[in-house]
This record gives sequence, structure tokens and C-alpha cells, in this order.
Amino acid sequence: MITIDIPADLNAEDETGLIWTFLDEAADPEAIKPGAIVVAGSELTPAVCEVVDLVEKAVGVVVHLRLLPGTIDQYRRLVHRIGV
Amino acid sequence: MSSEMGGVPGKPDAREELRHRVRPEARPVDTSQVVLRGGPDTRSLLRSHARRVNRLFVLDGAEVWAISVSVVLDDVGVGSSRSILRTRLRSYDHVYLSTVGRLRKRGFDLLPTFARPHFSVLLPGVDHAEELFDALGELHSNPYAGEQETGGQR
Repeated sequence: MITIDIPADLNAEDETGLIWTFLDEAADPEAIKPGAIVVAGSELTPAVCEVVDLVEKAVGVVVHLRLLPGTIDQYRRLVHRIGV
Repeated sequence: MSSEMGGVPGKPDAREELRHRVRPEARPVDTSQVVLRGGPDTRSLLRSHARRVNRLFVLDGAEVWAISVSVVLDDVGVGSSRSILRTRLRSYDHVYLSTVGRLRKRGFDLLPTFARPHFSVLLPGVDHAEELFDALGELHSNPYAGEQETGGQR
């Protein structure tokens, strides 16, 4: 079972052209900061993303995410290969 | 209409107007136009995504629930199926492949929102996510899954 840092619909975008979701949906909102590398999406469709920014809106803080290249499996193989 | 709404009774609606994000272009009229969405989804996930949209947006001042899709608008370029699958949807091993006609036949209208080829499939209420799930059809393999991005905004 993959732990998702922040649920999001990776099909969705807003006027920035980036994926968006709400900060208060994150497992640990404190970990969601600009530049952070996180796993977003759902347990069925996880992906590695970079947190671009956090935008305070009247209805909550919106997190913008940039999809990073590669799959979770590719990142897993990388970590295994370099032995960390 | 569902009773599950994002606004707070008695308070001015602070949500954003989705109409301001609608592209000034004709809606897709060709019922054969292909609709792509990365998956797999579940009925529960679609409800969550629709609620998220409802929390942030209204449409013409009224409640709105919507799910994001990409519509194949061109043979080449950002609106082509190849570009959509290898950029926007590259993190998805599988994608739902439907058509504008199939979704409309089930009662779902599509609104051209944000940047091409993004569209919002409008749901009459969050409970209609289940019907949309059925209308999305079968999952197909994404031949470009995991490829390095070569263009697009993401």
C-alpha cells in the first residue's frame, strides 16, 4: 500500500496550468512546502510531484503541483540501485 | 440537486467563478471526439474530485460539480491524443477512453475550461459521479506512461 502525501486529481489543472488540490487534505500539511517532493494522486494512481506554491484562497489553501518525470517504480529502482 | 454543497449558508459565497475560466471557443460538437482521463478511478474517488471542484468554484453563481478530462481536439500538437498521453497523462499506466457523444448521451455536458485541451465534465450533483464512472468506459493501456516529458506546460 502506497502512502499518499496529498490526494489530488492528477487530471485536473487550473489557470496556472498546474495540478491543484487543497492543503488540508494532506496527510501532513507541514510537509507540503514549495520545493518539496511529494507523492500525490491516489493509492491507485500515485505520482511523484514537486510542490510549486501554496496559494491562500477564501475557501482554503490551494497547493499547486508539478508532475515530475518517471513513475513511482522508477524512483523505487533508483533508490534501490544507489543503496540508500 | 444534491444537498452536499460547498457554500456556507448566510455568508457571501467566497468561491471562484468557473465561468471566468471557460475558454472562448465553441464546445466540442463532434460527438465522436475522444475524451481521455487517466485512471483507474473509483466511484468514491470521482466523488472526492467533484467535491474538491465544488469547494473552490461556482458556475454562474450556482453550485458546480465537475471532473477534469482532456478532449482530443487536434491531430498534432498539444490537443492531439499522442501529446495528451505523453504529457498530461504520462503518470497514468491506464486511461479511460470515451467520447463526447457517449458522455452527452448519459447527460454529462462538457465545458472547455483552463488551457486546451482541458475540459470539465459537469455533474448535476455529486451523486452523479457513479453514473459518470460507468460512462467513462473501459481502461486502456497508456503506451507513453512514464516517458520523459517532451513538451507542454507540466
